Amino acid sequence: MTTRNRIESVTDLQAVRERAIKAANTAGASPDRRQVLVCTGGGCIASGSLDVVSAFRRTLAAKGLDGSVQLLETGCLGPCAQGPVVVVYPDGTFYQQVKAADVDEIVDSHLLRNTVVSRLVNRHSGTGELVPLIKNLEFFKKQVKIVLRNCGVVDPLKIEDYIAHDGYAALAKALTQMTADAVVDEIKASGLRGRGGGGFPTGLKWSFARKSPNPVKYVLCNADEGDPGAFMDRSVLEGDPHSVIEAMAIAGYCIGSTQGFVYVRAEYPLAIERLGIAIQQARDVGLLGKNILGTGFEFDLEIRRGSGAFVCGEETALMTSIEGNRGEPRPRPPFPAVKGLWDKPSLLNNVETYANIAPILLKGSAWYAAYGTAKSKGTKVFALAGAVKNTGLVEIPIGMPLGELVFEVGGGIPGNKKYKAAQMGGPSGGCIPTEHLGVPVDYESLIELGAIIGSGGLIVMDDDACMVDVARFFLEFCQDESCGKCAPCRIGTKRMLEILERICDGHGVEGDVERLIELGNTIKDTALCGLGQTAPNPVLSTIRYFRNEYDAHIREKKCPAGACTALVRAPCQNACPAGVDVPGFVSLVGEGRYSDAMKWHRDRNPLASICARVCFHPCESKCRRVTLDTPVAIRGIKRFMVDQPVDLELPEMRPVAANANRKVAIIGGGPAGLSAAYFLARLGYTPTVFEAESKAGGMLVQTIPAYRLPRERLEAEIKLIESMGVTILTDKRLGRDFTLNGLRGEGYQAVFLGIGAMKGSTLGLPNETADGVAEALSFLKAANMGTGVTVGRRVAVIGGGNAAIDAARTAKRLGAEDVTIVYRRRRNEMPAWEVEIDEALTEGVILETLVAPVEVVVENGRVVGLACQRMELGSYDKSGRRRPVPIKGALFTIPVDQIVAAVGQSVESAGLFGDVPVTLNRDGTVKADPQTGRTSVEWLFAGGDATVGPSSVVEAIAAGERAAVGIDAALTGANHAFWREERTVDTAFDPDAEPIYLQRAHECLRPVAERTGSFAEVELTWSETVARGEARRCLRCDYRESC
Amino acid sequence: MADNAATCTCEAVPEEELLARLEGVIAEYREKPGALIPVLQIAQGIFGYLPEVALKRIAVGLDKPYSEVAGVVTFYSFFSTEPRGRHLVRVCLGTACYVRGGKQVLDALKAKLGCDVGQTTADRNFTLEVARCFGACGLAPALMIDDDVHQRVKPARLQAILDRYAVESGDAQPIPGGE
Repeated sequence: MTTRNRIESVTDLQAVRERAIKAANTAGASPDRRQVLVCTGGGCIASGSLDVVSAFRRTLAAKGLDGSVQLLETGCLGPCAQGPVVVVYPDGTFYQQVKAADVDEIVDSHLLRNTVVSRLVNRHSGTGELVPLIKNLEFFKKQVKIVLRNCGVVDPLKIEDYIAHDGYAALAKALTQMTADAVVDEIKASGLRGRGGGGFPTGLKWSFARKSPNPVKYVLCNADEGDPGAFMDRSVLEGDPHSVIEAMAIAGYCIGSTQGFVYVRAEYPLAIERLGIAIQQARDVGLLGKNILGTGFEFDLEIRRGSGAFVCGEETALMTSIEGNRGEPRPRPPFPAVKGLWDKPSLLNNVETYANIAPILLKGSAWYAAYGTAKSKGTKVFALAGAVKNTGLVEIPIGMPLGELVFEVGGGIPGNKKYKAAQMGGPSGGCIPTEHLGVPVDYESLIELGAIIGSGGLIVMDDDACMVDVARFFLEFCQDESCGKCAPCRIGTKRMLEILERICDGHGVEGDVERLIELGNTIKDTALCGLGQTAPNPVLSTIRYFRNEYDAHIREKKCPAGACTALVRAPCQNACPAGVDVPGFVSLVGEGRYSDAMKWHRDRNPLASICARVCFHPCESKCRRVTLDTPVAIRGIKRFMVDQPVDLELPEMRPVAANANRKVAIIGGGPAGLSAAYFLARLGYTPTVFEAESKAGGMLVQTIPAYRLPRERLEAEIKLIESMGVTILTDKRLGRDFTLNGLRGEGYQAVFLGIGAMKGSTLGLPNETADGVAEALSFLKAANMGTGVTVGRRVAVIGGGNAAIDAARTAKRLGAEDVTIVYRRRRNEMPAWEVEIDEALTEGVILETLVAPVEVVVENGRVVGLACQRMELGSYDKSGRRRPVPIKGALFTIPVDQIVAAVGQSVESAGLFGDVPVTLNRDGTVKADPQTGRTSVEWLFAGGDATVGPSSVVEAIAAGERAAVGIDAALTGANHAFWREERTVDTAFDPDAEPIYLQRAHECLRPVAERTGSFAEVELTWSETVARGEARRCLRCDYRESC
Repeated sequence: MADNAATCTCEAVPEEELLARLEGVIAEYREKPGALIPVLQIAQGIFGYLPEVALKRIAVGLDKPYSEVAGVVTFYSFFSTEPRGRHLVRVCLGTACYVRGGKQVLDALKAKLGCDVGQTTADRNFTLEVARCFGACGLAPALMIDDDVHQRVKPARLQAILDRYAVESGDAQPIPGGE
């Protein structure tokens, strides 16, 4: 044990500070003496940092460096995901994910030979460059550390280290140079607001407690950080406990109190231990106790440990608990400043609030108020957690846009998943969806959106999170933690929870959402304390932004995210819009039963060979195998399956005789129409398909190039549909060759509209009608249908979607020398498939990102160039991406002789419907019920791109199936969709066997040299060994114990 | 501070001796305001749980009705009136852990231990509980066995984690965070 000299005056404090700086030499202060700082915050300890500390201790001693290199155990540095982290000073090199085994190398290389160990250094997320110095890390760059100034810098177990970093100087200043009123005024002027969640002005609170007349008052610290997802208070107590002790003493001076209590939750044993040690050290040197710094001021602190009750974070309940009772809240007023702990005036602040006090007194309120917004000053610590790369603690100036916090400080979403929402404020807060990523993170702006800053918990959620389930989770939490004192909270939350549980279990009924809203609002208005009043917020907030998910659970009994187990058989099947039983056909392939596999697949999706090539496979992104290694390559298995030389078998048919006489017309022979025809035929209908072009297939034959989708397979699948009693009439265009009313006149009882979204948008640029400007769909159609296409020598393609890539790769194959894709955002924001972009680049296509076209340059009426503007990223827009904004003066021209515009598609509906009153959506698509496809006209159904705008093949197939069921139900009054019944595949599966440890098989691609001038398919089929091996990687989530 | 030990390593110690220790604690705290909760916390450390006999002694010692003592004990989730296993396994179901698969971890644990939440395994090795956030959100999903936090737990790794505790006798110390 070190014996400590007592500090009895400001001079003593100064002396200790100077001695400490000299002896310990602060981080970076001395160039000749080195320091190794190992984070021993809770996160890093869990990652094994204590082993790293002992390894350093051993190695430094063994190499005789223990005299010249100082080893420090610090509190949390923030980037918990990279733990254990080590910082070596004076240079400030940041090492991450350090294991005890790495220590030798760090000592040998860095400390003895001055060479950074690059394999343990952070890399820039964009460029991949090494970023050795902590000050250059992306994670820290936008942070401002006031609260966390000492976390990760000082040794929390050494008061001298804190004093060396200006510790207790603010207390000294307050006691010797400022009146209590002056201190309170300084806090008021700083604009500091309560960081526990309430956001009440701290200075005002202090002045109330100060004015309250009573000889006995208490200073309280709320460290009952119960909001799941927030851990900044814990980190401050573990990493810099003296900053809280000092601030509480200052508060005692201001309000006239000699006793303080820190209420710490029992889940934080390390925080309790370190705070306890810090308090003892402060007592030992005389910075707590009687006659502090010789000024006659007396103050002491006690720790009270919580016992696991969330409600005790509420201020009145906290005081009731310290008094030794059940932690039930009491009504306010009287407020704690008047009647608090043991009925004495009390000042209660949160840990983070206290941690701000000393810097404000030392550097002044104006310095502090320079950070933040007009109404919310300073910084706020956020605990980033959930689906974000840089999980950990960050401190940012209040007012930073949420998008910047999540994507720049937080590093974005891992695993190529999409941001869905950020849950802020825990069980009292709400969620912020994509369209509001631009919101400045401050008290008022978040409240407007139904969320709160709260205590600073920020949980990022990706597509895998079900918002109904999240709401249920939070409500379950509040329900469980409700103390039971008031009826709205005790009973109301229970009723809400019951409704949410039945929705998640698939038993929700119409009106449930309305009931939740009504109950929620009642509880908000009538509950006794903050817990109850805010408990409905997560539910109301998810209803506000994700109502469609509630509807999907209630109406379709479907959980779109795949999280609600009662509604999800296998996550892949759940993710497939067409509901294909993925584990079923995959396991059949695994057993070599290709014909059975094909039939099993086609039971839900008749266009297997098409989806095997062009489906964007949402199934793979939900594959549970990812928790083990990588997702099963489902599309690759399917590709192998459809290429096996087996004859297509007819699917199961359950014809109803009367249906053959019920005439159904299908307009459009694309995937939606073909799918509708297929499923209707299985019920005994004999629908007629009216196709405008010379071949059925829609987009599949018209715009998707043959190198991605050979035509023979498609023709075989279409032929099979025809053999089921479907008639396909080609060259029949609605509005030209026939009308809707005409079909009715011919006795068609129902009509399905699957006309797609085939109208390409125009650029809206000067000279866009010049010779040499083409629109992508027409360009692709001409190339694919063999109706004569002109291709330039130097081509610019404008756009970032699959059509743009298709056009570019087609142009290249047709002989263009230079093909440049111009896209106004960044590459990772292109809607096109990643692998398609890669292959386009491999084939020599040039990609210009952050470039927007401004004008078509014309000479003699012909295109000679594309004038472009370089862009940079501005603020977050409604799509949740940074809006590209022009860089002034950054103009350039690409010399081209052809421009292909791939900038969007819409539905061509003008004059199409005659006088039939078809209601359209605002974007010109046909309005249809998503479940049945029924439009505003009783006998007219619609689906696919015509109803939702440009979407995917598999979505169209699914819409066709739903419309077939809808049409059948409308004509017969019943649901006959037998293929929707759950069936169990008869393949063998041993649930107790270890999973097969095989790595995911790679795609097999035709060499680039063979692609020039050829439309032969680029992706090749796997060998049988590879395909069956891949199939056996399936974890069989569909498997259920049968009794 | 031994009073925060969540588990009991005291099976061999006779009850009278434990009660005598408790009396000492009561005497020390009797005059302090708000003593009930700290005394209960220490008592749970002594006995491993809060047996009725201890609660009665506390009620008498602190001059409080037994109903008040029982009321406080049942209010807080950390207090248990049932004997606990040698190791307390707490699965975090805080938000971050929940969205990162904490529920799957809990389900797998229930199956592995063969007991439900709040119950103790037949061999009295483990008691299973759920918890609300250890502040290890950066490393979700997390579970805590005694005072060790285990981070980024996957169901497949549970057995290896449990084995480290199951093989120990009651008093050996596990390797902290060694995975």
